[in-house]
Amino acid sequence: MLTPAVSVIAVFIFVPMALTIWLSFHEWSTQTGFGAARYVGLRNYEDLFGPISVGRDFQRAFLNTANYTALSVLIILPLSVLFGLMVHQRRVAGGHVLRAILFSTYMVPMIAVALVWSKLYSPTEGPINQVLSWIGIGPQPWLSSPDTALFSIVILNVWQQIGYFTVLVIAGLTQISPSLYEAARIDGANRIQEFFGVTLPLLRRTLLFSAVIAVINAVQVFEPVALITQGGPANATNVLTFHIRRVGIERAQGGLGSAMAVMLMLSLIVIIALLFATARQKEER
Amino acid sequence: MNAVSRFWIAAAAAAALSPLTAQAEEVRLTYLTHWAPDTVALLEEAANAYTADHPDVSISVRAVPFGDLLTTIRSGGSDGPTIASIYDLWLPALAKDGLVAPAPEPVAEEVTSEWPAGIAAAASVNGQVYGIPNEINVYALNYNKRLFEEAGIAEPPRTWQELEDAAAKLTDEASGRQGFGMINSWAAGVDHPFASLLVSNGGQLIADGKPQIDSEAALETFKLYQTMVEKGYSVPAMGTSDANTTGPFLDNFVSGKTGMIIMANWWESALKGGMGADFGNVGTAPIPVGPSGETARSISYSWLTVVNAGGGAAQQEAAWDFLAWLNGPESGENGASAMAGILQSMGILPSRSSDVEAYADALGRPFLEGYVSTLANAQGFPIVLGGQEFSEALQQVIEQLQYGQITAEEAQANAQADAASILERASR
Repeated sequence: MLTPAVSVIAVFIFVPMALTIWLSFHEWSTQTGFGAARYVGLRNYEDLFGPISVGRDFQRAFLNTANYTALSVLIILPLSVLFGLMVHQRRVAGGHVLRAILFSTYMVPMIAVALVWSKLYSPTEGPINQVLSWIGIGPQPWLSSPDTALFSIVILNVWQQIGYFTVLVIAGLTQISPSLYEAARIDGANRIQEFFGVTLPLLRRTLLFSAVIAVINAVQVFEPVALITQGGPANATNVLTFHIRRVGIERAQGGLGSAMAVMLMLSLIVIIALLFATARQKEER
Repeated sequence: MNAVSRFWIAAAAAAALSPLTAQAEEVRLTYLTHWAPDTVALLEEAANAYTADHPDVSISVRAVPFGDLLTTIRSGGSDGPTIASIYDLWLPALAKDGLVAPAPEPVAEEVTSEWPAGIAAAASVNGQVYGIPNEINVYALNYNKRLFEEAGIAEPPRTWQELEDAAAKLTDEASGRQGFGMINSWAAGVDHPFASLLVSNGGQLIADGKPQIDSEAALETFKLYQTMVEKGYSVPAMGTSDANTTGPFLDNFVSGKTGMIIMANWWESALKGGMGADFGNVGTAPIPVGPSGETARSISYSWLTVVNAGGGAAQQEAAWDFLAWLNGPESGENGASAMAGILQSMGILPSRSSDVEAYADALGRPFLEGYVSTLANAQGFPIVLGGQEFSEALQQVIEQLQYGQITAEEAQANAQADAASILERASR
């Protein structure tokens, strides 16, 4: 009975993956058939780690993606726990309204988010810089400087995704029995001790799931870069998905693009495996 | 008559009428462009005029941002739009990949005879014409006359030294004004002004298929950029472009925060839209001449319309017929093509000889006059296999220099090595 399921998985998952890996060892224009692919061994991979523009751009895109992912996850997870705790408090009036507002950002299409945020970040007329000027902070370059552009995109990402991860945390919090908090209070625990002794350990599985989803989402970032920065300035926001699209589709260098996709896939597998290994280690302790 | 008889009669009638049905079948053409909605409306108007006389043809126009144009053409492949407007730099690769159809003999002959030789050559690969050229763009120095007057600068700069001096006088850090604007985050916006300064300094990017960026002229051009940034005359953060090739670089010039900038003639409509009555303050001058140069030169590039090689025979035939009409002297006013009228609405120079003649008066208006006079000494941006990758690699190097991440010497070494590697790989 497993045969149909295995066949579907093979057709839709393993075949494209195997094809991508096979193509990464070939020189191939995406505008031609697979039969036109020419075997070049490891040359595509050598180019990716070489000093010429192909290598420099890939390495920068890889680093940008890693930074973007790390920053996104490091901001989203604690913030989602904080918001989750705030919204989960039953004594807070209108908590359900706050929950709906938080989740609404996740439902806004990225095209709208990108348009609005590109205006918010405008160096001269942007509201963010205007607000900063009221408290004596000079205009910030945001998307116009290589030092701040990637972080500006991270903020946009956090704003859009935080509602979704907050809902995940709330779902995790509802699974914690109130009796555990009562027991902790009887033992004399204060709010902070309750959080570190009860809430956080019992949220571990939720947070692991959140981390995995946040990593996958962040690694696949594409729209804000394509819609707002086009990878600039000075390659500061050029992330792997956008770069692979540029190389593989715009320049039709399918072999090189496939090698980049394989590197992205391998990195993702390593990160996710590390996350699970770390979580398992903690559970065993 | 029973049901079976009725069925057979209906089948016979359908079979008899099917050739007529096929004859009257509509040929559907799709036209992909990157133009703004106002210009798309003009193109649709022209398409409607054509289809009024050709009721068996329908034409729908689709517009995408410039940043997505090539990707849309490539990802559509043979099933993509029937007609696409393309940047000449993309043609060799699209022709190599068999995505664009060679022009039929009459169209090819018309292109060769009715367009200047250099522009017809940019629409050809190995002597085969692949498209009908339409717009030509050339770069010149745009400057704000009011700011020049306030800074006591009588004339636009003619040399790099004068350019630097003028930039120094125009720069006002306190009011957030830069003397000389540089663009980033958009390959052509970065490369073309740089290449214009380079050719005005006696250098070239590529000659005979080989990179020439290791020349002294190129190093001097990289050093000019470094100097402009180091002295604060150019603020890179003020030069960002978005996917629609607008954004802060345009806003800053429009609002008087940028004193001078090297840009192409096509942005006339954007300047008019942003500046309104102040558009009269914009002056156009030739590219200043560098220490190794002798005369003011510039960079030009053209656009052309191509037909999808994957389209059916009827589609291709209708597409070429429409394009020949759109770019021919019968479709517009006073012997000009409809295409020339559309281009003029944006301030873009038409390239067909008869269009240039028909619009001679309009091309003499103050803003365009400076560009038209520059055209004679303009060099085409190198059109080679791998041109798009070369262009993007050069962009990254120049942007790194603009943001102080590398020195002029490093920029030159990287740009030359990148170009050599890219051209070698593309030629395999």
